[in-house]
Amino acid sequence: MSVSSRNPAKDQVAIAAAATTGFTATNTDRSQLSYAVQACVAALRAAGLTAADVDGIIGSSAPTAPELQGALGIPVVTYFANPPIPFVNQLSTAVAAVHSGLCNVALVYHASYRLPWNTGSAWKDPFRRGGLAGGASAGIPESVFGSVGYTAWASRYLYEFGGTKEDFGLVAINDRSNAAGNPGAAMREPLTMEGYLAARMIRDPLCMLDMDVAVDGGDAFVVTTTERARDMPLKPVLINAVTLGMTGKPSETQTPSLREHGQQVVVESLKARGDFWIDDCDVYFPYDGFTIITLNWFENAGYCGPGEAGDFLRQHWDHATNRVLIDGRVPVNPHGGSLSEGASQGSGHFREAVHQLQGLAGERQVAGAQRAIVTAGGFFFNAQGATLRTDG
Amino acid sequence: MAVDISDEDLLARYPGYAIDHDTRARYRGWLEHVMLFDRCATCATWHEPPGPICPTCWSTDIEPTPIAGTGTIHLAITLRQGPPVEGVDYSTPYPVVVVELDEQPDLRMSGTVVGADNSEIVIGRRVHLDWALRRGAPFPVFRLDDQHGADQPGASS
Repeated sequence: MSVSSRNPAKDQVAIAAAATTGFTATNTDRSQLSYAVQACVAALRAAGLTAADVDGIIGSSAPTAPELQGALGIPVVTYFANPPIPFVNQLSTAVAAVHSGLCNVALVYHASYRLPWNTGSAWKDPFRRGGLAGGASAGIPESVFGSVGYTAWASRYLYEFGGTKEDFGLVAINDRSNAAGNPGAAMREPLTMEGYLAARMIRDPLCMLDMDVAVDGGDAFVVTTTERARDMPLKPVLINAVTLGMTGKPSETQTPSLREHGQQVVVESLKARGDFWIDDCDVYFPYDGFTIITLNWFENAGYCGPGEAGDFLRQHWDHATNRVLIDGRVPVNPHGGSLSEGASQGSGHFREAVHQLQGLAGERQVAGAQRAIVTAGGFFFNAQGATLRTDG
Repeated sequence: MAVDISDEDLLARYPGYAIDHDTRARYRGWLEHVMLFDRCATCATWHEPPGPICPTCWSTDIEPTPIAGTGTIHLAITLRQGPPVEGVDYSTPYPVVVVELDEQPDLRMSGTVVGADNSEIVIGRRVHLDWALRRGAPFPVFRLDDQHGADQPGASS
């Protein structure tokens, strides 16, 4: 694999503040826009900024940047964009925009919202019925897109490596144990392996608890030059490297194998462009939209070999807290991840990473955390990641 | 021949499918029980999904070409829930497989398997193509090679 190591933006752009609304796993009586603006106002206030300080708006597809700008009364922007989820699309766009001078202070947001594409329950709210999205072919049981695609490759994982459902279950239990310490998490009741194995099967071999929980809520970030962030109230979190990764057959059916998809590209790119990797990581955020994705991230990041993630989690399990602590030190998705905090398409992972590096993670705080790795997204067309570090 | 129908009528026969200028030949093929994959007339590489150019050599001389319809199950799951579709009852988990076709390594297509118990539909099993009907329109399904059930394909006709 050949990836470039060129990274002129390294450490030049920083996250000055991050904020969240918290997440709810029911159809709340609020609009998606309301979550975005709530999180944005909180992030701007945390950074000591007002609407007039913002000159860039970057978010996921809904609400659009014009809707958000209008809602917040931001007077002037010189750049805006609405790239698709997951969240590194937004973050990398912000890094590029700030570093190139398209804008100086980017307000970056993602509002999670329960819609028909991620939960059938969304149909109960008439205002949510318009938000239908799906695979390239919708409503066809034989189509292997999205959720079905991850389930299909989970079948391959079990076939190739002889793993067990318990391997998947450890990912779910780790997230749930972590979510207990996060007041903003949607799912905080303790989870046992027995409870996991008894969960309703949705598509064999994945059950309800292998899939992230559709939520209402939002996260927002202030992204600016590192130089400017140093003048703001909170400790800047420097974006050391950020990348997307995709291979030549980026689809659920044609992806060559579990050892040849976007995740491997992300890992090689971050190692080439960034200054540290897992040996120097204080807190790790592997994406967990489906448990199978997380197992693959551990293997592809280099924590263990192919098919060994289940054993790796067992070896590094902290029985006192019923969660993973790599080498007794490094927690994994300490906010509860997409499986238990809520399906934020990666924004929750980044918000928690920022708060950990700023020392704002409350009872979840990793003492002295200075470096975080976020490996977001899945296999086929949305693997992505970033290395984040504190200043100095 | 069925392939003479208009684009408008083709869309109406296959609602929900991603049919456009690049994929319409495939669905016209379905109407006459022919499974077409794009093959490059210049370098002979098969590719999927159908597209306007060969990803291997960038030739635009692409031929929708019949496949043999034989292959090996590469991914296998069953659905306990899914989109409501005529002839699919998820109370019996509905099998969906991705089959690696014999034409070329990593060339694959998805579909259901008919005429077999779910316990037999596993990765590694050999399958061959057959046809079923949904809303009166043919669509491809698979059968296990060493099964000779006389039952009709699972979807209603």
